[in-house]
Amino acid sequence: MTNPFENPDGTYLALINDEGQYSLWPAWAEVPAGWTVAFGEDTRQACLEHIEANWTDMRPKSLIQAMGE
Amino acid sequence: MTSSGPMSPSGPTFSSGSTFSSGSTSPSEQAGRVSTAGPGTQLEDILPLSPLQQGLYFHAVFDEAAPDVYTAQLMLDLEGPLDADRLRSAVARLLERHPNLRASFRQRVGGEPVQLVHRRVEVPWREISGGDPDAVAAQERARRFDLARPPLLRVALVRTGPARTRLIFTNHHILLDGWSTPLLAAELLALYTGAEPPSAPPYRDYLAWLVRQDRAAAADAWKHALRGLGGPTLVAPDPAGRPPAEPGRVRAHLSEDLTGRLTAVLRSRSLTLNTAVQGAWALLLALLTGRDDVVSGCTVSGRPAELPGVERMIGLFINTLPVRVRLRPEETLSGLLTRIQAEQAELLPHHHLGLAEIQRLHGSGPLFDTMTVLENYPLDASAAEVGGGLRLLGAGGSDATHYPLALAVVPGRRLSLRLDHQPDVFSRAAALAVLNRLSRLLKIVAADPDLPLSRLDLLSAEERALVGAEVIPVQTGSYRDIPDMTAALPGRGTGVATGAPAESATIVSAFADQVERTPDAEAVAGDGVSLTYAELNGRANRLAHRLIELGVGPETPVAVLLERSTEVITTTLAIAKAGGTYVPVHHGYPPDRMSWVMADTGAPVLVTDREPGFAHAAAVVRTDSPAVPGAGGEVRYVPEYDPNVKIHSDQLVYVIYTSGSTGTPKGVAVRHRDVLALAADHRWTGRHRRVLMHSPHAFDASTYEIWVPLLTGGTVVVAPSGELDPVTLARLIAEHRLTALFITTALFNLVAEEAPGTFGALAEVLTGGEAASPAAMRRVRDACPDTVLGHVYGPTEATTYATYHAVEAVPENGAAPPIGRAMDGMRAHVLDRFLRPVPPGAIGELYLSGVGLARGYLGRPGLTAERFTACPYGAGERMYRTGDLARWTGDGELEYVGRADFQVKIRGFRIELGEIEAVLSRHPSVAQVSVAVHDNRLVAYVVPAGPGAGTAPAEEVRDSAATAPDELRAFAGETLPEYMVPQVIIGLDALPLTPNGKVDRAALPKPDVSASGRPPRTPEEERLCRLFAEVLGLDRVGADDGFFDLGGDSIAVIQLVSRARREGLEISPREVFAGQTVEALVRGGSSGREVLLPLRAASAASPSPPLFCVHPGAGLGWPYSGLLRHLGPEQPVYAFQARVLSEPDYTAPSIEAMARDYLAWLRRVQPRGPYRLAGWSMGGLIAHAMAVELRERGEEVALLAILDAYPRPVRRSTPDEQEVLSELLAAVGYRGPAEIDDIVAFVRAQGGRYATLDEPTLLAVYRNYRNGVKISQEYEPRVFDGDVLFVTAAHGREADSPTAADWKPYVTGMIEDRSVACDHESMLNPGPAAEIAALLGTALRRREP
Repeated sequence: MTNPFENPDGTYLALINDEGQYSLWPAWAEVPAGWTVAFGEDTRQACLEHIEANWTDMRPKSLIQAMGE
Repeated sequence: MTSSGPMSPSGPTFSSGSTFSSGSTSPSEQAGRVSTAGPGTQLEDILPLSPLQQGLYFHAVFDEAAPDVYTAQLMLDLEGPLDADRLRSAVARLLERHPNLRASFRQRVGGEPVQLVHRRVEVPWREISGGDPDAVAAQERARRFDLARPPLLRVALVRTGPARTRLIFTNHHILLDGWSTPLLAAELLALYTGAEPPSAPPYRDYLAWLVRQDRAAAADAWKHALRGLGGPTLVAPDPAGRPPAEPGRVRAHLSEDLTGRLTAVLRSRSLTLNTAVQGAWALLLALLTGRDDVVSGCTVSGRPAELPGVERMIGLFINTLPVRVRLRPEETLSGLLTRIQAEQAELLPHHHLGLAEIQRLHGSGPLFDTMTVLENYPLDASAAEVGGGLRLLGAGGSDATHYPLALAVVPGRRLSLRLDHQPDVFSRAAALAVLNRLSRLLKIVAADPDLPLSRLDLLSAEERALVGAEVIPVQTGSYRDIPDMTAALPGRGTGVATGAPAESATIVSAFADQVERTPDAEAVAGDGVSLTYAELNGRANRLAHRLIELGVGPETPVAVLLERSTEVITTTLAIAKAGGTYVPVHHGYPPDRMSWVMADTGAPVLVTDREPGFAHAAAVVRTDSPAVPGAGGEVRYVPEYDPNVKIHSDQLVYVIYTSGSTGTPKGVAVRHRDVLALAADHRWTGRHRRVLMHSPHAFDASTYEIWVPLLTGGTVVVAPSGELDPVTLARLIAEHRLTALFITTALFNLVAEEAPGTFGALAEVLTGGEAASPAAMRRVRDACPDTVLGHVYGPTEATTYATYHAVEAVPENGAAPPIGRAMDGMRAHVLDRFLRPVPPGAIGELYLSGVGLARGYLGRPGLTAERFTACPYGAGERMYRTGDLARWTGDGELEYVGRADFQVKIRGFRIELGEIEAVLSRHPSVAQVSVAVHDNRLVAYVVPAGPGAGTAPAEEVRDSAATAPDELRAFAGETLPEYMVPQVIIGLDALPLTPNGKVDRAALPKPDVSASGRPPRTPEEERLCRLFAEVLGLDRVGADDGFFDLGGDSIAVIQLVSRARREGLEISPREVFAGQTVEALVRGGSSGREVLLPLRAASAASPSPPLFCVHPGAGLGWPYSGLLRHLGPEQPVYAFQARVLSEPDYTAPSIEAMARDYLAWLRRVQPRGPYRLAGWSMGGLIAHAMAVELRERGEEVALLAILDAYPRPVRRSTPDEQEVLSELLAAVGYRGPAEIDDIVAFVRAQGGRYATLDEPTLLAVYRNYRNGVKISQEYEPRVFDGDVLFVTAAHGREADSPTAADWKPYVTGMIEDRSVACDHESMLNPGPAAEIAALLGTALRRREP
């Protein structure tokens, strides 16, 4: 079974939630509630590169705020 | 066969299958061929078989004992006066008109089947009055046709009432197909009335047409249609091995309204009903098999339109052909159907090719084991006037297939669905579920043809509820997944007490609460240590303060490399208290991997109990140095109060590294709240009070072992270091009154086999990690009925355990128990490749959401976003993609099915084969590599690189590969932990590939693990060889075969040790690891000839420094092994042996030279003093010389024991050979004549460790002795600065014998003189050795640091 997240030829999105967490997401699938499209649609690689470049602090936003207090 | 001859009276025939299959020969050519059936014979014609006939012939002869499922039946219910004789004549006339109904089937000598058309056949005819027609029909069906005996049909006439008759026409499917039966019925009834319907073209016209088809073009078309197909679509386990059974049958109808709407929708989009059926079936198959590229069989009518009169022909024309459907998630339903229809239209001209040939073209076995057929038969045979007052009331039939699932769709005002199922594969209920889902699908096609496939809902409301696929309603502004986990913890969390949300609770606050509640309760036990909550808190606080001083703060990674001990708990807690994140590393990691982890985390601090031995830039905190040095080096005060670092529950508490498929490990970053959630699960309540900690700290089971008891007021019982075996386990359970423990699948299976009652005193035993053995679980359930057996499952990413199942009864059918339901607060989703939930029974990939989901992979945002994805079942939530395949049971529990990728578990360790492949492929000699698992062994298949690799003769390539394994293993061992280094490396010229171009893992050769070593020579070797073979599951094992080369692992080692123990053989796991071969084990875990012989090797865990013993004059160190038992298992002992044993030409120049030589070896084992030395006879002199040298180098010598050795021994010149040998052999218990042959025979017969004393060794020993006497006399001892323990052999002494006092000039300290009642030669014989060991033991303890 090809996993929907593992199709090298597929088109994908980079999703982001309120906590600034990213998710790779197949472009054909409905975007789940609580997530918005941050990048794409594009190739899997391009989406992952976007995520690598932008998700530099992997702590959720609320934690960043709490720890910064 | 093509020679001229008389033509067959009935026209052209085809002589053989081979001519038939030769391609596009023209009809005129065919006409010139002859028949082997001449006018005078019983045979009218000899015909080849059509493709489907060939297939049916194969099935009929495949298993002649089983019922032939290809027996078909036509039943006509007639009302009115019936003339049976007239009917019988009509049947005979029918056969006259259709020669192919008179055929029998045989194989030619060459093997190809032919059909023989007989001139005359007698149709078996039965007439029964008043019988049960169904019973008669069943009897008729049950009688197997012999394909060689025509006709392959029979008729039964059952009088069911005064004017009612049922005609039962039974035939073998090979004669005619479903489309022919209504024609047959109509023609038969017409003939009965005396009519003579227009004749149809003969069957052989169709066969001739077949010959004219362009087979090459058809082959290309089918090859193209199947290109890139990954594998067959099978719903039954083994299509070939299953004997066919009488199929079951379930039916469903669509309502008239729905049928109408479906027809309208299809018509509006120019789609056929057959296309809709094929599409719906493909979607069902995808669900059943978890595939997205599926193939099913479809029966086509096979009647070529260009053959005039084909619609009136009676015979077998149908063909079953593969329908391949690729499902694309972005497509809509109608888009899919349109594409299927177009793809199938392309294949229409090529329907004449047989299935066997198509499968051969594709290069595979069976492509499918399900099929569909649209039964659009040309005639409605219901209620018709036959004539002569006879009326046809109805018609029915029975027709079957060997497929596990075969769907027939019958068009009509109400679309009728009929599903035949093999009851051993699909129960009636399962078949009904399939049929219901199909109805639902067709309903959706009718209602919403433009629905994207990814939104297609295939679940019924009940199924949806069962698999928990409801979406959690959106909670604005919150991604929170643990509303109040600490509420479940006893006494509730700090946060709750202060009125803040419980979310702020951390494991630090939860532990603090516990300290407050039960300060005097036992928190940790083990190592002879017992700590209360208050004590543990104090210790952890002290270490936390030190860590904070070293700069540890919120989320600072702190590496931990500790042997299992209570320090692990203290350290883990202290790091958390400092706000840091603990990163446990495994002592089995090679230095490179250690350094890599240090660098990857950037940990500024390493807490350890040893010299790290790998490169790092961290500050080291040693737990083995009790004092904390201050600025001036003196011990200073460290506070014990809580450091009170502010910690958020979303902060990381630990990072555990797991194998990563791309070649680098990945660190799973787990938060405080995740661990709290695990500890708060309701399942632990009551039973998990005293929990054993024995898993490696770097293994996530340690999370359960440490935090479940500590955060719930229980006790962590720390197992002693080393591998846990069943005996130790039983002892720990009893000694520490354990109530619960987790044990890996492999160890669980071992205990279940060896001593299943071991768990009896526990309230609960948890096991999991690998595919469970139902037999092992049953044994434990039977032996421990009062112990809960918890089957747990979970990836590190979901904080140890994600699902749980309490095993009650283990099914007898060999199925593994389920992995159960999700843990509290966690949700499990089994999704297909469209991310849709699958119904119970269907295989999908397991995703986890809810509490306990880790933050992600440390510093790997891309990888995290790939695996921790958006979750469609909770707003803003994430779900972890496990890569595990699972299915729901009808009870809503999860069953583990396997892996979706190439991750494996070996000895409980999670391993990505890709990581091993990535590492091996970095070796310059490797061109390609694939790693697989065979019998729990990692096997690497390597295609060697090099300029000639592709073109060199095969042998050369193999040779180059054959020299590489050790080097490759060593190469892998530089970066991979030992459990990831392949045990077997096989060189291949090329990796086998699937038609798809991927590595065909199934085709990789199995490694030949048959042992090839030398046969055992002694009874002891024989016994161990047998034990090796038993444990490894091999027929035989040679004395020099490596245990691990043959696939042994640490569990097998424990198994070996416990079996050996049962047979009275004492070997330790450490000896097996060190020695590996039977030979070495018998000799004591070594080659027996090395300079420094580890009689009991030291490990980092050894509490005492080793004792070094120096060989006597003969040069052998073995005699000291007599001390081992009496010194106790914790005392490491090494013996020096003369270099001449390993280098026969070596001659030691002096005692001092020997001493210096041995000191170099000594320092490798123990780099710094204080040292403990002992020496017997000449060894006493060498030990003294070593002690002098050590002191001069400023080292401490804690013990120098001299066993009956004296400075400046006075001897007459040199002893002769006989004398030396007898003195030597006295020490090994030999008292016979001193002839070398006798001696060799003696030591051989003795077996045991002396068996390898072959003649050359004995001669070496002799030479050493002679030289030893010489250099002993030349030795001028220097002065040793210290005390001496002297042991005098009291027997055999004479008045002028030297005494301990002779050492006085050479010793500054005290000489303690003890005597033992034995002579010099017998000092290390069992009795005296025990006494000496007692003396040494006392001295060693006295001199303990």
